[in-house]
Amino acid sequence: MAEAPRKVVLVGVGALGSHVLLFGRNWPVRFTVIDFDRVEQKNVMAQFHSKMGVGRNKASAMQQALQGLYGLRIEAVPHRLVEDNVQTLLSGADLVLDCVDNAPTRDLIQQHVRAHDIPCLHGAIAADGSYARVMWDPQFTADDGSKGVATCEDGEHLPFIALVSGRMAMTAQTWLQTGRQRSCHLHPGGIVEI
Amino acid sequence: MNQRMIGASQARLNITWDGQNGDLPDSVPFDASDAEIKAWASEALRGGGVPGVTAARRADLQDFVIDRFPATDEMPYNRLFVRPKTPFGIQCG
Repeated sequence: MAEAPRKVVLVGVGALGSHVLLFGRNWPVRFTVIDFDRVEQKNVMAQFHSKMGVGRNKASAMQQALQGLYGLRIEAVPHRLVEDNVQTLLSGADLVLDCVDNAPTRDLIQQHVRAHDIPCLHGAIAADGSYARVMWDPQFTADDGSKGVATCEDGEHLPFIALVSGRMAMTAQTWLQTGRQRSCHLHPGGIVEI
Repeated sequence: MNQRMIGASQARLNITWDGQNGDLPDSVPFDASDAEIKAWASEALRGGGVPGVTAARRADLQDFVIDRFPATDEMPYNRLFVRPKTPFGIQCG
Protein backbone atom coordinates (compact mmCIF):
# COMPACT_ATOMS: atom_id res chain seq x y z
CA MET A 1 0.00 0.00 0.00
CA ALA A 2 1.38 3.41 -0.95
CA GLU A 3 2.26 5.81 1.85
CA ALA A 4 -0.09 8.73 2.39
CA PRO A 5 1.36 12.05 1.19
CA ARG A 6 3.01 14.04 3.94
CA LYS A 7 1.17 17.01 5.36
CA VAL A 8 2.82 20.43 5.03
CA VAL A 9 1.24 23.29 6.98
CA LEU A 10 2.16 26.76 5.75
CA VAL A 11 1.32 29.60 8.13
CA GLY A 12 1.07 33.05 6.55
CA VAL A 13 0.52 33.55 2.81
CA GLY A 14 1.77 37.10 2.41
CA ALA A 15 4.88 38.17 0.48
CA LEU A 16 6.97 35.17 1.51
CA GLY A 17 4.41 32.40 2.04
CA SER A 18 2.44 32.99 -1.14
CA HIS A 19 5.59 32.59 -3.24
CA VAL A 20 6.84 29.57 -1.26
CA LEU A 21 3.53 27.91 -2.08
CA LEU A 22 3.92 28.84 -5.73
CA PHE A 23 7.40 27.29 -5.87
CA GLY A 24 6.30 24.20 -3.96
CA ARG A 25 3.24 23.49 -6.04
CA ASN A 26 4.66 20.27 -7.52
CA TRP A 27 5.59 18.66 -4.19
CA PRO A 28 3.88 15.32 -3.53
CA VAL A 29 2.33 16.56 -0.28
CA ARG A 30 -0.97 17.69 1.20
CA PHE A 31 -0.86 21.44 1.78
CA THR A 32 -2.77 23.23 4.51
CA VAL A 33 -2.53 27.02 4.38
CA ILE A 34 -3.42 29.23 7.34
CA ASP A 35 -3.99 32.98 7.19
CA PHE A 36 -6.65 35.22 8.74
CA ASP A 37 -5.78 38.32 6.70
CA ARG A 38 -7.48 39.63 3.59
CA VAL A 39 -5.95 40.57 0.25
CA GLU A 40 -5.60 44.33 -0.16
CA GLN A 41 -4.93 46.23 -3.35
CA LYS A 42 -1.40 47.09 -2.18
CA ASN A 43 -0.60 43.39 -1.66
CA VAL A 44 -0.75 42.48 -5.33
CA MET A 45 2.57 44.22 -6.06
CA ALA A 46 4.62 42.14 -3.61
CA GLN A 47 2.59 38.99 -3.00
CA PHE A 48 1.34 36.15 -5.21
CA HIS A 49 -2.19 37.48 -5.00
CA SER A 50 -4.09 38.99 -7.91
CA LYS A 51 -6.69 41.71 -8.31
CA MET A 52 -9.28 38.93 -8.51
CA GLY A 53 -8.47 38.10 -4.89
CA VAL A 54 -8.74 41.61 -3.47
CA GLY A 55 -11.13 41.65 -0.54
CA ARG A 56 -10.99 37.87 -0.05
CA ASN A 57 -9.29 35.95 2.71
CA LYS A 58 -5.66 35.26 1.68
CA ALA A 59 -5.79 31.51 2.37
CA SER A 60 -9.02 31.14 0.41
CA ALA A 61 -7.73 33.34 -2.41
CA MET A 62 -4.60 31.14 -2.69
CA GLN A 63 -6.74 28.03 -2.70
CA GLN A 64 -8.80 29.36 -5.60
CA ALA A 65 -5.77 30.65 -7.52
CA LEU A 66 -3.83 27.38 -7.29
CA GLN A 67 -6.89 25.36 -8.23
CA GLY A 68 -7.60 27.61 -11.21
CA LEU A 69 -4.03 27.99 -12.47
CA TYR A 70 -2.59 24.55 -11.77
CA GLY A 71 -5.41 22.25 -10.70
CA LEU A 72 -3.75 22.01 -7.29
CA ARG A 73 -6.04 21.34 -4.34
CA ILE A 74 -5.01 22.69 -0.96
CA GLU A 75 -6.80 23.05 2.36
CA ALA A 76 -7.40 26.69 3.30
CA VAL A 77 -7.87 27.78 6.92
CA PRO A 78 -9.10 31.41 7.05
CA HIS A 79 -8.33 31.91 10.72
CA ARG A 80 -5.66 33.52 12.88
CA LEU A 81 -3.38 30.97 14.53
CA VAL A 82 -3.86 31.43 18.28
CA GLU A 83 -3.29 29.50 21.46
CA ASP A 84 -6.83 28.09 21.40
CA ASN A 85 -6.54 26.52 17.95
CA VAL A 86 -2.82 25.81 17.44
CA GLN A 87 -3.20 22.22 18.61
CA THR A 88 -5.97 21.58 16.08
CA LEU A 89 -4.55 23.53 13.15
CA LEU A 90 -1.00 22.12 13.32
CA SER A 91 -2.17 18.62 14.21
CA GLY A 92 -0.73 15.88 12.05
CA ALA A 93 1.78 18.15 10.32
CA ASP A 94 4.94 16.49 9.01
CA LEU A 95 6.45 19.89 8.26
CA VAL A 96 5.51 23.43 9.30
CA LEU A 97 6.56 26.42 7.19
CA ASP A 98 6.54 29.64 9.22
CA CYS A 99 6.02 32.63 6.94
CA VAL A 100 4.28 34.97 9.38
CA ASP A 101 5.18 38.59 10.11
CA ASN A 102 4.98 38.80 13.89
CA ALA A 103 6.89 37.46 16.88
CA PRO A 104 3.91 36.29 19.00
CA THR A 105 2.68 33.92 16.26
CA ARG A 106 6.21 32.70 15.60
CA ASP A 107 6.59 31.99 19.33
CA LEU A 108 3.32 30.06 19.32
CA ILE A 109 4.46 27.98 16.34
CA GLN A 110 7.82 27.31 17.98
CA GLN A 111 6.25 26.18 21.24
CA HIS A 112 4.02 23.73 19.39
CA VAL A 113 6.61 22.24 17.03
CA ARG A 114 9.11 21.82 19.86
CA ALA A 115 6.55 20.15 22.11
CA HIS A 116 5.54 17.73 19.34
CA ASP A 117 8.94 17.30 17.66
CA ILE A 118 7.70 18.59 14.28
CA PRO A 119 10.28 19.90 11.80
CA CYS A 120 9.74 23.62 11.20
CA LEU A 121 11.38 25.94 8.68
CA HIS A 122 11.18 29.67 9.39
CA GLY A 123 11.46 32.47 6.84
CA ALA A 124 11.94 36.14 7.77
CA ILE A 125 12.89 39.28 5.84
CA ALA A 126 14.18 42.67 7.03
CA ALA A 127 11.67 45.48 6.52
CA ASP A 128 13.95 47.29 4.05
CA GLY A 129 14.54 44.18 1.95
CA SER A 130 18.28 44.16 2.68
CA TYR A 131 18.53 40.84 4.48
CA ALA A 132 16.62 37.61 5.19
CA ARG A 133 16.83 34.35 7.11
CA VAL A 134 15.74 30.83 6.14
CA MET A 135 16.33 28.78 9.26
CA TRP A 136 15.26 25.51 10.78
CA ASP A 137 14.00 25.37 14.30
CA PRO A 138 15.46 25.57 16.91
CA GLN A 139 18.20 27.85 15.46
CA PHE A 140 15.65 30.55 14.68
CA THR A 141 14.77 33.33 17.11
CA ALA A 142 11.84 35.63 16.44
CA ASP A 143 12.44 39.39 16.21
CA ASP A 144 10.19 42.20 17.26
CA GLY A 145 9.72 45.21 14.98
CA SER A 146 12.50 47.63 14.11
CA LYS A 147 11.78 51.15 15.32
CA GLY A 148 10.88 53.57 12.57
CA VAL A 149 11.23 51.03 9.77
CA ALA A 150 8.10 50.43 7.73
CA THR A 151 7.75 47.58 5.28
CA CYS A 152 7.83 48.69 1.68
CA GLU A 153 4.71 47.35 -0.03
CA ASP A 154 5.06 48.74 -3.54
CA GLY A 155 6.85 45.71 -4.91
CA GLU A 156 10.32 47.31 -4.87
CA HIS A 157 11.72 44.24 -3.11
CA LEU A 158 9.89 41.64 -5.18
CA PRO A 159 13.05 40.17 -6.77
CA PHE A 160 14.59 39.70 -3.29
CA ILE A 161 11.33 38.22 -1.99
CA ALA A 162 11.45 35.77 -4.91
CA LEU A 163 15.06 34.89 -4.03
CA VAL A 164 14.20 34.25 -0.38
CA SER A 165 11.00 32.33 -1.05
CA GLY A 166 12.76 30.28 -3.72
CA ARG A 167 15.50 29.42 -1.26
CA MET A 168 12.93 28.54 1.39
CA ALA A 169 11.06 26.28 -1.04
CA MET A 170 14.32 24.64 -2.12
CA THR A 171 15.36 24.09 1.50
CA ALA A 172 12.02 22.48 2.33
CA GLN A 173 12.13 20.39 -0.84
CA THR A 174 15.63 19.14 0.06
CA TRP A 175 14.31 18.10 3.46
CA LEU A 176 11.34 16.32 1.89
CA GLN A 177 13.68 14.42 -0.42
CA THR A 178 16.68 13.75 1.83
CA GLY A 179 15.91 14.76 5.40
CA ARG A 180 18.80 17.25 5.36
CA GLN A 181 18.32 20.54 7.16
CA ARG A 182 20.44 23.50 6.05
CA SER A 183 19.82 27.05 7.23
CA CYS A 184 21.13 30.25 5.69
CA HIS A 185 21.21 34.02 5.74
CA LEU A 186 20.48 35.89 2.52
CA HIS A 187 21.23 39.38 1.31
CA PRO A 188 20.91 40.84 -2.18
CA GLY A 189 24.55 40.00 -2.89
CA GLY A 190 24.56 36.37 -1.86
CA ILE A 191 23.85 33.57 0.59
CA VAL A 192 25.70 32.60 3.79
CA GLU A 193 25.17 29.00 4.92
CA ILE A 194 24.66 28.58 8.64
CA MET B 1 40.32 33.74 8.02
CA ASN B 2 41.57 30.16 8.26
CA GLN B 3 39.03 28.24 10.34
CA ARG B 4 41.88 26.24 11.93
CA MET B 5 43.07 29.48 13.49
CA ILE B 6 39.80 29.97 15.37
CA GLY B 7 40.28 28.63 18.89
CA ALA B 8 37.57 26.85 20.87
CA SER B 9 36.77 30.01 22.83
CA GLN B 10 36.86 32.22 19.73
CA ALA B 11 34.35 32.78 16.94
CA ARG B 12 34.10 34.01 13.37
CA LEU B 13 32.12 37.26 13.31
CA ASN B 14 29.89 37.78 10.27
CA ILE B 15 28.36 41.21 9.72
CA THR B 16 25.42 42.20 7.51
CA TRP B 17 25.07 45.90 6.77
CA ASP B 18 23.06 47.72 4.13
CA GLY B 19 22.50 44.62 2.03
CA GLN B 20 26.18 43.65 2.12
CA ASN B 21 27.86 40.93 4.12
CA GLY B 22 31.34 39.92 5.25
CA ASP B 23 33.46 38.34 7.98
CA LEU B 24 35.68 40.30 10.34
CA PRO B 25 39.29 39.34 9.46
CA ASP B 26 40.11 38.46 13.08
CA SER B 27 38.29 36.08 15.38
CA VAL B 28 36.57 37.41 18.52
CA PRO B 29 35.74 35.82 21.90
CA PHE B 30 32.59 33.71 21.56
CA ASP B 31 31.38 34.76 25.00
CA ALA B 32 31.72 38.52 24.37
CA SER B 33 28.65 40.56 25.28
CA ASP B 34 26.22 41.80 22.64
CA ALA B 35 27.34 45.36 23.37
CA GLU B 36 31.01 44.47 22.86
CA ILE B 37 30.28 42.67 19.60
CA LYS B 38 28.20 45.56 18.28
CA ALA B 39 30.95 48.02 19.23
CA TRP B 40 33.65 45.99 17.44
CA ALA B 41 31.44 45.51 14.40
CA SER B 42 30.54 49.22 14.27
CA GLU B 43 34.17 50.26 14.41
CA ALA B 44 35.07 47.80 11.68
CA LEU B 45 32.25 49.04 9.45
CA ARG B 46 33.13 52.69 9.98
CA GLY B 47 36.77 52.04 9.19
CA GLY B 48 36.09 49.89 6.14
CA GLY B 49 37.49 46.85 7.90
CA VAL B 50 34.93 44.29 6.81
CA PRO B 51 35.86 42.69 3.48
CA GLY B 52 32.90 42.78 1.14
CA VAL B 53 31.18 45.66 2.92
CA THR B 54 31.61 49.28 1.82
CA ALA B 55 32.90 51.54 4.61
CA ALA B 56 29.99 53.17 6.43
CA ARG B 57 30.99 56.16 8.56
CA ARG B 58 27.56 56.33 10.17
CA ALA B 59 27.11 52.63 10.83
CA ASP B 60 24.77 52.19 13.80
CA LEU B 61 24.04 48.66 15.02
CA GLN B 62 21.95 49.59 18.07
CA ASP B 63 18.80 47.94 16.69
CA PHE B 64 20.65 44.91 15.28
CA VAL B 65 20.62 41.36 16.65
CA ILE B 66 23.47 39.01 17.60
CA ASP B 67 22.98 35.33 16.72
CA ARG B 68 25.35 32.81 18.32
CA PHE B 69 25.98 29.39 16.82
CA PRO B 70 28.37 27.01 18.61
CA ALA B 71 30.65 24.75 16.57
CA THR B 72 29.10 21.61 15.09
CA ASP B 73 30.40 18.61 13.18
CA GLU B 74 29.62 20.38 9.91
CA MET B 75 30.87 23.82 11.03
CA PRO B 76 33.83 23.10 13.36
CA TYR B 77 34.14 26.61 14.77
CA ASN B 78 31.89 29.03 16.64
CA ARG B 79 30.09 31.71 14.67
CA LEU B 80 28.57 35.05 15.58
CA PHE B 81 26.25 36.94 13.26
CA VAL B 82 25.43 40.64 13.51
CA ARG B 83 22.27 41.17 11.51
CA PRO B 84 19.25 43.47 11.06
CA LYS B 85 15.91 42.48 12.54
CA THR B 86 13.52 40.71 10.20
CA PRO B 87 9.99 42.04 10.70
CA PHE B 88 8.97 42.29 7.03
CA GLY B 89 5.22 42.74 6.82
CA ILE B 90 4.76 44.38 10.21
CA GLN B 91 3.24 47.86 10.05
CA CYS B 92 5.73 49.43 12.41
CA GLY B 93 6.54 52.73 10.76
